[in-house]
Amino acid sequence: MLPIAIIRDFLDETGTLGRFTGRFFSTGLKPRFEFKELLNQCYIIGYKSLPLIALTGFIMGLVLTMQLRPSLVDYGVESQLPVMVGIAIVREIGPVITALIFAGKIASSIGAELGSMKVTEQIDAMEVSGTNPFKYLVATRALATTLMLPVLTVMGDAISLLGAYIGVNIRSVTSFYLFFTQIFHSLTFGDALPAFIKTFFFGFAVGMIGCYKGYTSSKGTRGVGSSANSAVVLSSVVIFIIDLLAVQLTDLLGLN
Amino acid sequence: MAKQGENNIKLGLFVLAGLFVLIFSFYLIGKNHSLFGSNFRIRVRFSNLNGLTEGSNVLFSGIQAGTVNTINMINDTTIEVTLLIDDKVGSFIHRNAIAAIGTEGLMGNKIVNIVPAKTPGAAITEGDLLAAQKIVNTDEMLQTLSKTNNNIALISEAIKGTVLKINGSALMDLLNDQRIGSSLRSSLKHIDKAAGNAMQITAGLDELVAGIKKGKGTAGALLSDTAVARNLQAAMFKIRKASDNADQLTAHLNNLVQTLDRQLNRGNGSLQVLLRDSVFARDLKTTMDNLQKGTSGFNQNMEALKHNFLFRGYFKNKEKEKH
Repeated sequence: MLPIAIIRDFLDETGTLGRFTGRFFSTGLKPRFEFKELLNQCYIIGYKSLPLIALTGFIMGLVLTMQLRPSLVDYGVESQLPVMVGIAIVREIGPVITALIFAGKIASSIGAELGSMKVTEQIDAMEVSGTNPFKYLVATRALATTLMLPVLTVMGDAISLLGAYIGVNIRSVTSFYLFFTQIFHSLTFGDALPAFIKTFFFGFAVGMIGCYKGYTSSKGTRGVGSSANSAVVLSSVVIFIIDLLAVQLTDLLGLN
Repeated sequence: MAKQGENNIKLGLFVLAGLFVLIFSFYLIGKNHSLFGSNFRIRVRFSNLNGLTEGSNVLFSGIQAGTVNTINMINDTTIEVTLLIDDKVGSFIHRNAIAAIGTEGLMGNKIVNIVPAKTPGAAITEGDLLAAQKIVNTDEMLQTLSKTNNNIALISEAIKGTVLKINGSALMDLLNDQRIGSSLRSSLKHIDKAAGNAMQITAGLDELVAGIKKGKGTAGALLSDTAVARNLQAAMFKIRKASDNADQLTAHLNNLVQTLDRQLNRGNGSLQVLLRDSVFARDLKTTMDNLQKGTSGFNQNMEALKHNFLFRGYFKNKEKEKH
């Protein structure tokens, strides 16, 4: 494929995704809202993802602590281990890793679900039956991911810090109270707020991309798998792009 | 439907738990940065902040007392820092306390340390200006360290020269001589022995002194016996009297000598003739010669008489009486 064709396809895809996102704001947020479906999606997307996020978060905190420890011991600043791990988890690693795990689980699931609905013409059937499929399928899922990822990130951060506490206590002894006092003493709103706010954007991106890939799925059952796969890949890339923009913005605002 | 309700409850609990963690975290962060609770502002003016930023911690005697609220440049050498102080700690800060910029740990964030003054003072109130202590800049420290290093280099060079000199000197031979050790050991043994002897002597002296104190021996009697002291006093009196007599005798002798001297000078008297008349001396010498000659002749006559048959018997009898 020629590079021009690749660029054209990329721009086409970006434009279509932009229009799809625009449609969410123009029609998805207008009454009548599908509250029941929204709650259902929140339960599936948020509550059911908690065990996975908790497990990965716990392991991440534990491993990060154990990996950082030797370097800090070499520099003679082992006592700063809770502070370093705490800032790393709250500022960057917690939101990004949670969003990536979330994208892996949710974007693929939404992509596959909507894709299969598309190829089996269930979406068309919904339109015929008078239900707005965009509102019912896309808006609820996108809103659910936008609202649930920040909650999952907060929970994931807390569990990661618990893992970090256990990691610290494997080789030395630090009280639970001292560990968390040290972390919260060093944290500022400049660390916590931007990290928390960007998770809304991560969640929105995961939801929108998952829905877009599923909603625009084609080519039969092969297309479903492709939609699920590309939804995960694209949402992961977009998460990193948003993270890059967020760090630039917080730097500009002097929050770093 | 019942399943849906159960799911909603689970979701609600999940969201509430998330919100609780979030709000609690924000509360803890805010509490550490004096966002909650009552507080007041005080000011400190520094010439160099050394990297202190808004939000940095303020410690009073090592206790978290607040945060740096604002930083304003007043002129090219003065920067005013407003500190947000917690009421609970602020009531213990006095106006004569001193603020200094420090570091958390060795390489940590910059902080403001408020050190209480040793003398009592009025409690600090909103808007008061605290005195600032000049901080020691790292560059200044490094400059001083550089000077110290140069001095150390010079000193080490001098020490090196000295060591080299000592190495080739007789002192080093002395130190390397292994016999000195044994000599020193034996000397120390002798010293030890001498010390033992000295101890014995001291003990003896001690005993002696104790004896003297008790009045034992001549010295003891001298020092403690009152009868001896009286005798000694009488002896001393006699000695003084004898000395007075000797004085008188000396005076008489002096007079006699003066009289003789005068007589000698005037030329009268037999002594003057004996000592000064040369003619008399020559006559005396001649007389003495004649007398010697006469005595010699007399000796010869006597010897002749001893051999004479008339006197031989007499002399033999005399010899026999002697033996």
